[in-house]
Amino acid sequence: MPTPAPIDARGPRFNQGVLAVALLGGFLVDWRPVVPLFALVLLAGAALGPKYGPFLALYAKVIKPRLGPPKTMEDPRPPRFSASVGVAFLGSGTLAFAAGHAGVGWALALVVAALAGLSATTGLCVGCEIYLLLARRTSVVG
Amino acid sequence: MFLARGTVVIVVLFAVAFAGRLYRAWRSGLQADRPAHPLVPASLLAGAARTWVVFTSPYCATCGPVADRLQLSDPSARVVKVDATREPHLAGAFSVRSAPTVLLADAAGNVTARLVGAEAVEAYVAAR
Repeated sequence: MPTPAPIDARGPRFNQGVLAVALLGGFLVDWRPVVPLFALVLLAGAALGPKYGPFLALYAKVIKPRLGPPKTMEDPRPPRFSASVGVAFLGSGTLAFAAGHAGVGWALALVVAALAGLSATTGLCVGCEIYLLLARRTSVVG
Repeated sequence: MFLARGTVVIVVLFAVAFAGRLYRAWRSGLQADRPAHPLVPASLLAGAARTWVVFTSPYCATCGPVADRLQLSDPSARVVKVDATREPHLAGAFSVRSAPTVLLADAAGNVTARLVGAEAVEAYVAAR
């Protein structure tokens, strides 16, 4: 399996920052479409790669050229795994809304918002850490 | 309703800020416990005058080729691979955040060069 090209670590952090703000804002005004919408946003980046994620692409094309070169590059697989976990949570939240359980839907979305906010502000990506734990246990070789 | 939702948002923000502070305190505590200039352990040096220490990870596919490249370009040096996930204390002592991270150590274990990433290693080798 070929090694994926390393990515600028600031891209996923920008994406997570937007995600946290959008989900918290959506919850504040009870705008439920934000949950399936951001499930699709995360799914695009996780399934197809960073250039297909709208906010990852926005970072790469608009913000990154205005910043200095990245100090650290990272393996894209942990943040993609983390995004997949986010898709699972937001997808489940969407189903909960559809089933009429708005409280469950928002609870799942707020978990994603909190973890995304934590990652964006501190760099602690819980989903990435889970990926690394799994990689160590299964000796995944890229 | 808006007030209740606003309260929940504020609680989430405080929780994130608190978790962030805890994480940063934990990280800075780890760094404070470390010597400023740690030495590469003698067990890795094995008496060699120059030792390349390549920190790898189970999911790093470029780490093996990096070690081979270093051995080819510097045949008189010892090249040793260390799985950072199996030696977290050693990786932490040298602030290894990603693989491959490569250290060049002299006979006494002093780190004289530090390269992060396969591209940095390639650039270093090409410049020698």
